[in-house]
Amino acid sequence: MSGEPVRIALVPGVLALLPSYGGLEDPVADLRAACLDAVAWLGPGPGVLASEQGGRVAAYLCGEVSSRDSVPPRPPAQGVVVVANGSATRTEKAPGHLDDRAVGFDDDLRAALGAGRPGAVDTDLARELWADVGGLLRLAQEVEVDPASVTIDYDADPFGVQYWVMRMEGVRR
Amino acid sequence: MTLRLGRHTFADDATLMMAIVNRTPDSFYDKGATWAEDKAFERVRLVVEQGAEIVDIGGIKAAPGVEIDAAEEKARVVDFVAQVRETFPGLVISVDTWRAEVGRAVCEAGADVLNDAWGGADPELVDVAAEFGAAMICTHTGGATPRTRPYRVEYDDVVRSAIEDTVGYAERALAAGVARESLVIDPAHDFGKNTFHSLEVTRRLDEMVATGWPVLVSLSNKDFVGETLDLPVGERLTGTLAATAVCALAGARVYRVHEVVETRQTVDMVWTIAGRRPPRRAIRGLQ
Repeated sequence: MSGEPVRIALVPGVLALLPSYGGLEDPVADLRAACLDAVAWLGPGPGVLASEQGGRVAAYLCGEVSSRDSVPPRPPAQGVVVVANGSATRTEKAPGHLDDRAVGFDDDLRAALGAGRPGAVDTDLARELWADVGGLLRLAQEVEVDPASVTIDYDADPFGVQYWVMRMEGVRR
Repeated sequence: MTLRLGRHTFADDATLMMAIVNRTPDSFYDKGATWAEDKAFERVRLVVEQGAEIVDIGGIKAAPGVEIDAAEEKARVVDFVAQVRETFPGLVISVDTWRAEVGRAVCEAGADVLNDAWGGADPELVDVAAEFGAAMICTHTGGATPRTRPYRVEYDDVVRSAIEDTVGYAERALAAGVARESLVIDPAHDFGKNTFHSLEVTRRLDEMVATGWPVLVSLSNKDFVGETLDLPVGERLTGTLAATAVCALAGARVYRVHEVVETRQTVDMVWTIAGRRPPRRAIRGLQ
């Protein structure tokens, strides 16, 4: 419904978050904690904007949050999980190897997200840099994000892939 | 089956490294390197640092040699067991002995496991284990007398013999009062066996695992490895680890070893391939 308030949690589609890929040690423990806190902030039953693979990550996070002993009260807004991340070409060891354009691309995308403009992304360059931005484009179509509401909970590239966990608020277009 | 080794319990999917500590001047592999008590204690400290869950302390080499009576065997191991018990309370202490008299003394000193490598040669050993709540390793030797080498031994079916004898031994121990979760069976490679027997036991170890009793394997640097590869003691690690991998895939739970680190890595790798253990830390392709 147009004008309806929306809470958004942006998380990366990291497959290492899934229990089926779990090891004895968690290589993404900090990221996992940030993702779970952000999704919990949405309240129960959020929608999902993600690829099929990203949707599995979102489903896992939502399931984990709903299984927690203390479920937070329903917030005064609909929740949406957006699964997306920056480039995967930031270092020599990155999945897509080093691309000198990656850092600049990610800086621009971070600035756009902070300005409440998730759709301001060069999609051709995103494809070349292995960035997953489909969820952001859908978010831009569906929600007007309030730039003053954007909170960055996690911002790092531990494996040469740029991850963000962000919380945002806005209204449905 | 959950394993209870004296004071210690282990989950039913845990694999355990039992590090060999010889208090002998003449064992085949280390040739007396830990005969001196301080050297033996250094060895215990090392294998604990390397992650061994169990030490197996022995006062008599398996092969024929100078007669060692019970008094001398006790002199070699009892005080040492007490010292290890005091210093490493979290460590499982096993003692390699077939004698009930020695078993009693080491249990009083703090041993958790009686490793009867000679398959019940002293029938009273099970009573000692029951009395002290100790675990027992029930081995197959084909009826061999302690400290003898196999000579023209043949079996209709060596694996069937190993299963019948070890399970029979475990059931005798159970009847004597040893806890079910404290009994382990061991086909005892090389003991009462030629190389073909030990290879067959290795190849068919899954049949022993299928009995439901936890299985221990003692493969480390043994002659069946040496004869298979025509390599002397000291050059058998690769062959040992290959045999270890086969036994791990079959589901052996306890590994009696000289080389703790290499065996642990081999067992963990195979256990993970078999889907019984997750990788330590997986991120490749999952970022």
